[in-house]
Amino acid sequence: METQSTDRSYLREFLKSKSGVVGVVMLVLLIATSLYVIIAIPQSEAYKWQNPAAWQGNPTSVPPAWVNYFGVDAPQTVDLSLNSWAGSSSSSSAAYSASVSFTWKHGVPPSNLLVVPNFSGNAYEVDVIWTKPDGNMVQIGLSSPVSGIGYDLTTASIRQGLVQYIQSQTHTLIESVGPAGELAALFNDDGPNILNSSVQQGTYIVTVQVVGNQALSLSNSKVTLLGDSYGTMGTDSEGRPIDLGVLAGLPWGLEIGVLSAVVGVVGGVFWGGLAGFFGGWRDKLLSWGMLVGIAIPSLAFIIAISYTFPLTLLTEALLIAVFSAPFFGIIARSVTLSIRSQTYVEADKAMGVSAARTFFTHFLPRLTPVTIAFTALSVSAGIIFGETLAFLGIEPANVITWGGILNDAISFDASVHGWWWWVLFPGIMIIVSSLPFVLVGFALDRVVAPRVSAK
Amino acid sequence: MGYARFLVTKTASYVLALFASVSLLYVGIYPSLQKVIQGSANEAASDFQRTLIKDHSGMSLAQVTQAVATYKATYLNGFGFNQPFPIKFSLQIVNLFEFHLGSAYFLQAPNGSKQVLDIVVAYLPNTILLFTTGTLLVVAVGALLGLLAARSAGGMLDRSVPIIAVVHSSIPAFWIGFILIAYFAYSLNILPSGGISSVPPPAGLLPNFADLMAHMTLPLASFFIVNVGGFAYIVRSLVVSTMGEDFVTTARARGMTERRVLFKHVLRTASPSLATQSILAVAGSFGGALTTEVVFRWPGLGRLTFIAITQNDLPVIIGSTFVLTIILFLGLYIGELTYGFLDPRIKTGD
Repeated sequence: METQSTDRSYLREFLKSKSGVVGVVMLVLLIATSLYVIIAIPQSEAYKWQNPAAWQGNPTSVPPAWVNYFGVDAPQTVDLSLNSWAGSSSSSSAAYSASVSFTWKHGVPPSNLLVVPNFSGNAYEVDVIWTKPDGNMVQIGLSSPVSGIGYDLTTASIRQGLVQYIQSQTHTLIESVGPAGELAALFNDDGPNILNSSVQQGTYIVTVQVVGNQALSLSNSKVTLLGDSYGTMGTDSEGRPIDLGVLAGLPWGLEIGVLSAVVGVVGGVFWGGLAGFFGGWRDKLLSWGMLVGIAIPSLAFIIAISYTFPLTLLTEALLIAVFSAPFFGIIARSVTLSIRSQTYVEADKAMGVSAARTFFTHFLPRLTPVTIAFTALSVSAGIIFGETLAFLGIEPANVITWGGILNDAISFDASVHGWWWWVLFPGIMIIVSSLPFVLVGFALDRVVAPRVSAK
Repeated sequence: MGYARFLVTKTASYVLALFASVSLLYVGIYPSLQKVIQGSANEAASDFQRTLIKDHSGMSLAQVTQAVATYKATYLNGFGFNQPFPIKFSLQIVNLFEFHLGSAYFLQAPNGSKQVLDIVVAYLPNTILLFTTGTLLVVAVGALLGLLAARSAGGMLDRSVPIIAVVHSSIPAFWIGFILIAYFAYSLNILPSGGISSVPPPAGLLPNFADLMAHMTLPLASFFIVNVGGFAYIVRSLVVSTMGEDFVTTARARGMTERRVLFKHVLRTASPSLATQSILAVAGSFGGALTTEVVFRWPGLGRLTFIAITQNDLPVIIGSTFVLTIILFLGLYIGELTYGFLDPRIKTGD
């Protein structure tokens, strides 16, 4: 009866803390989102994440779509489907063509062009005739194309066709041209100054011709103008949407945090609690064990060990727990020492109550509130530890982690190129996922701390 | 007398703890360590073979092969290969402590050496420089902030200390680095984005020093931002709880000034726990310091480990983990000795 009322007053006092309540609300939202992610994003996405070919239809390294609301002209991806094929075939040759037109009203070209021919049978060649609003035609060709593969501006034959077009306009020899120059050929005002002139706005017509030696059946072919912005969080240099990665990383982040915190704090509380409870040589031994744990550079240790024992969620959480337990052990030990000198403990001793019983009736209940507060705080430490390891490139196979996304960001010099979305959103997610635990932990700590010393 | 005894017991427990943690590391990396030693033996043997052939030692090819095989067997024997585990264990631990860390797979020290020890030694001073400066800064400013917050309980500072403590607990150190680089190096363009010196380094001692400081500012700042809040929070709680003690009330009743109470009574009583807390804070922030190096391309052991991870250079990872363990132990040991020196109870032998 008495403990119940104490628990209620803990709760009442906790609810007084605004930050604690905010933390709880955030926590509920996080868990709900995480459940949604587990249901909505299948594990196969994690395999797909590691496969660059799966993301070819997305623009690479572009900011989120909403930058358009902030005065940035960043067109989004446009898919141009080629449906109405016309053509003829004889026994030895076949030629088909289809056209599609689109209106371009942006001051900038798209970030890339992707031609995806789709046919059954053998095609010799795919030709794209690109008619600009001023009527000029650019011709690019693909010899021996493969059905279903996307050809973009890095394809040699496309680049060659565009260089030829630029040379026809500038009447000078051009040795090489980058994607920006290729886009200029397709979109800019023609003339000798084509590489630096402005984008032509108006209606473009794209005609695709497929030539083969036998009848081909054509379907679903398309030309894609890859945008300059994508989704809610942009894309990385492989075209992977950051928003997908940020969402998919949530369950793993929470799992590693909660698992490592629960094991670490409970282990640490027993470790330090027993040390303080026993005293004497057992205390010395257990405390020395804590010194060992604290003085080990845990990050480097886990990295080294991960080369021997490949990490899984469980082993990684256990390793983090083992190295964080001593920190909680020290606190639990000092709490226990302050309980030891209380009269009811003396009374138990005098009445001959067994040590185990004293530990479970007097010490553990008083250690529990501290344990809960530190578990909450420790979850955020666990999340950050796991993401830090992932940032250094140490993570279980086939999981998407925010640390892993940030690792890619630094490998591809995201900050040098100013690709802020790639760095900002995963980092904010780490903060957002650890913040509620910190808020709840601090609020609990404030509720619990005075009680422990008062008792 | 009291301090001497303290010194002996602490030293013994630290030496034993170091031994225990290196043994733990050994067990954790046992299979990979055998591979590394095998690789180093092969490397040393082929070096030996090259010298024999180059020196025209007059040996026939068969003799050279024979000599190389003997050399390799001797090398492996030194690490207790083909011996029962206890002997292997003791030989290999002794080798670790003698810094026989083997040769790297791919990485090289600036002087071209492939020895892991040379590589680690080349990177080590930078880690010590950054981490020591950062820690001193955090402990000094954190203690001051915590004290001031405790003194003005309920005031602006007191209410903001928990907020910076929340920042401390929820933001990864490396991410702050990203943000600082984006703002100060690329947006404002007033500080270098990474590295330890300009290329080429400026001539003269003073410009060189200024250059180093400029490169150190952002890594230090991110280490500081992430760690100062947590430490200030601990100091504040310790001081506040000490202030509730009876002797403080007595001191106040005796008409002492608040400043005198704070510094003469509260701080003196709380300082041993403060020292313990600083030691814990140092141990806890070590990993963060290593990742800060990665973001700022600071050529220290953290960055070395990162490079070694990307290149799968296992010997370097093991070697740098071992050296980091020793460094952290030394740091904590020195901290503990200083703490013992400060604590009057230990001096008098209580």
